Amino acid sequence: MKVSPLMIGLCGALAWSLASAQSVDVSAAEALAKKSGCTKCHSVSAKKEGPSFKATAEKYKGKPDAEATLFRHLTTNPKVKVDGKEELHDSPKTKNEAEIKNLIQYILSR
Amino acid sequence: MIRAWWTNLRQRCRTCSRVTLGAGVLLLTVVIGGVLLAAGAAGLAWTNTLEFCTGCHEMRDNVYAEFKGSIHDLNRSGVRAVCADCHVPREPVPMLWRKVKASLEVWGHLTGKIDTKEKFEQHRYQLAKNVWTAMIRNDSHECRNCHKADSMSSELQTEKARARHAKARAENVTCIMCHFGIAHREPDGPGPQELKLAK
Repeated sequence: MKVSPLMIGLCGALAWSLASAQSVDVSAAEALAKKSGCTKCHSVSAKKEGPSFKATAEKYKGKPDAEATLFRHLTTNPKVKVDGKEELHDSPKTKNEAEIKNLIQYILSR
Repeated sequence: MIRAWWTNLRQRCRTCSRVTLGAGVLLLTVVIGGVLLAAGAAGLAWTNTLEFCTGCHEMRDNVYAEFKGSIHDLNRSGVRAVCADCHVPREPVPMLWRKVKASLEVWGHLTGKIDTKEKFEQHRYQLAKNVWTAMIRNDSHECRNCHKADSMSSELQTEKARARHAKARAENVTCIMCHFGIAHREPDGPGPQELKLAK
C-alpha cells in the first residue's frame, strides 16, 4: 500500500491535536484562571465583559500561531478595550511557563 | 365540639373552678404551642445546615465538591457562605416557600433524576438557569445578605472593579449577571446576561 505525504501530514496533525487535547490539565487550568481573576471578565461560554474562552478558541481554530499569540497576550499586559475604555489586560498569577501554556491549551480546547 | 369537650372536662374535674380550669387549659396550650414552634424552628434551622444539604450524594459529589476550595468556602478572612446562605432566603415567609419548593426536589432524589455524574451533567445547565433566574428576579437578594452595596468601599476596590460596579449600578445590573460560576462549575450555554426572562 502506498502512503501519500498528505495522509502522513493529516495523521501527524491529528496525533498532535489529540496529544495536546489530552495533555490539558483541566483542574489546574481552571484553578489558575480563578486564582488570576480571569473569570471576572471571561467565562467559558457565556457573555461577560471579555470574550468567552469558547469564542477565543473559535477565533484561533486552526491557526498555527494560536498558542504563541495567546502567550504574548497573557504575559505582556497589552491594552484592551472594555466599554470603549482602554485598560491593561492582567497576567496569570504564576511565573511558571508550563502552567500558562496549560491554561492556553485549556482555552483553545473549549 | 369545643363546648362538649369543655363540659366533659368540667365534669371530670368537679373540684376545679372555671377560672382555674381555663387558666390550666390556656397554659397547656401555650406550652404545647411553644414546644411545637421551637421544634419547627429547630427543624427549619437544621435543614439550613451544610450537613443537611450535603446529606445526599447528588449534592455532596457534585455541587459541594465544586464548592470546596472556592472563595465562599476558603478565604483569607474565614467568613464562609454555605449552601443555605446563597440558596435560601433568610426572611420567614420566603424561606418557608423555598422549603416547600425544595421538598418537591426530594421527588427528583427519589426518582434518581440526577443520581449519576452523567445525569447531573445533563441537567447542570437547567439547574444553574433556575438559580440564575431566581437571582435575577430577586435582585440577587441572597448575595446582598452579606455584600451590602452601601458598605462597599470603592476606594478599596481595584480600578477595574470600581468601573464595573459603577456601570452595573448605572445600568441596574444585578450581581449574578457577572458573578456566576463562582462556587460551582459554569455550565455550557448562555449565561445570565443572555437569558430572556418573561416579565
